[in-house]
Amino acid sequence: MNLIWLFGAELKRGWILQRRYVVETIALMIGLTLVFCGLLVSTQNLVGPDVQLGDRLDALVVSYVLWSLSLFIMGNIAGELQQEAQTGTLEQLFLSPIRAAQLLIIRALANLAPQLVINLAILILIMAITGNWLSFSLFALPPLITVLLSAYGLSLVLGSLALLFKKVQQVLAVFQFLLFFMLMAPMETWTGPSYLLGWLLPITPSAGLLRNVISYGAPLDWILVLLALLNSALYLGLGLLLFHWAERKAKKYGGLGGY
Amino acid sequence: MILESHKLKKSYRDKGRLISAVHDVSLRIAAGEVAAFLGPNGAGKTTTIKIIAGLLRPDEGWVRICDRNPHKNQSALKLLGAVLEGNRNLYWRLTPAENLEYFGVLRGLSPRIVQQRSHVLLERFNLAHKAQTIVGALSRGMQQKVAIMVALIHQPRLLLLDEPTLGLDVEATEEVKQLVREIASQGCAILLTTHQLAIAEELADRIAIINQGKVIMEQATHDLIRQFSGSAYQIELEVSLDPARRLKLENLGTDIETETKLRVSNLAALYQVLALLKPLPVLRIQKEEANLTDIFLKLVREQ
Repeated sequence: MNLIWLFGAELKRGWILQRRYVVETIALMIGLTLVFCGLLVSTQNLVGPDVQLGDRLDALVVSYVLWSLSLFIMGNIAGELQQEAQTGTLEQLFLSPIRAAQLLIIRALANLAPQLVINLAILILIMAITGNWLSFSLFALPPLITVLLSAYGLSLVLGSLALLFKKVQQVLAVFQFLLFFMLMAPMETWTGPSYLLGWLLPITPSAGLLRNVISYGAPLDWILVLLALLNSALYLGLGLLLFHWAERKAKKYGGLGGY
Repeated sequence: MILESHKLKKSYRDKGRLISAVHDVSLRIAAGEVAAFLGPNGAGKTTTIKIIAGLLRPDEGWVRICDRNPHKNQSALKLLGAVLEGNRNLYWRLTPAENLEYFGVLRGLSPRIVQQRSHVLLERFNLAHKAQTIVGALSRGMQQKVAIMVALIHQPRLLLLDEPTLGLDVEATEEVKQLVREIASQGCAILLTTHQLAIAEELADRIAIINQGKVIMEQATHDLIRQFSGSAYQIELEVSLDPARRLKLENLGTDIETETKLRVSNLAALYQVLALLKPLPVLRIQKEEANLTDIFLKLVREQ
């Protein structure tokens, strides 16, 4: 019951902050849309004006919105941990009878709905600007869920670093580009050893599956969904393990307080 | 006993050197008791508080809050409230009511109970009119009161207050002192750290002094003050002494400090001195009493 109440409290906290600081959210949405426009113009410039991007534009849009969603999730776990260490509320969170990893997951889940709404708005803005309207089907849901699980896993890994080292802005900044690569990597077109290696990368297989369904209209291969689920479960498990380890270390070396 | 800590030890490695932050620290606080934990900067006060709160794992020793170890049993944290040093305990972008609601649920309460208790606390702390103001816009004193409310929302048995009056103005300090007294009177055990020794002397039933990681003194406040107080008496007159009385008093071994002030260090001579002073008007007779500042400085310097 406690966890359900906490979910409600997190939902309310998130909603209050979104509503109270709506300008920040709008600025972020516009910023992310403008970055996509810049990316699109640069790509079109590189390939030349005569080349039509077609399905690849769809793939670019899907990957970009997934990247933006993953950034929100990471900001929600690793970013907030770092911010809470900075403002000092982190220690108060650890004074709760609810375990920190549970709290962070519940917080991330409670924030998922507004994040999905924000990212949907970004997607609609991008589709309106490009005039390229994607078609969605319910088959996009399973790979979307595995993308989210992987994003939570990676966020917990980064959260562990934030817990141990506090100042991880540089790592987070570099990781954004790494994440961009992992989400953009066209694994669905790879063959041979690189394709097999791709299954070991975090989030990449799930993003590839989602692109296949939305951008190329391919039918969903449930075996591949299962593999993507295993991949995301692996990274989520790794994130949880690392977080527990980092929590123990932080309590041993006094890393929860101070910045 | 609400809090028991036994032989807590914590060391850090700094530039290859092992530094003992806390060494064999044992504390016991009963229900309704206020204990002040005093010590110079870096003496180990905050480290001990954090070990008790379960935020820092001790190398050796144990902590029990109502017989539960916060390092092994997460439910022990339900019995604990803490206001850690500085203005770092609240969400500044939320209001006091929203902070109470969030942290109340985080401490395991149902939203309905949190609502009821928030209302009571806001009234009791005289902050109902600021319930919907963002914490960042409140004065430092009000922020501290909100932090104490948040620490009390789940009605803990033990309250840890790390420098609760640091940076507060006189009025806010008095309010916090009054709150500490009230909270203790309702049966909550309180451990507070402070550098303001007069506040500790005023509030605390017990005093523990820590220096270089070791508790060098732990006693009931009045016993400690009595132990360090002398047996001499100060007498203050409303009028100046005449030369004849002055001579007789000096013969009795009385120190004449000024024309109107005497010090009688020989207790046996006190009534003889009073007889000699008769019928001069006496303003004050007081037994000399040490204050906590003198005791603290003496003990820390001796060590």
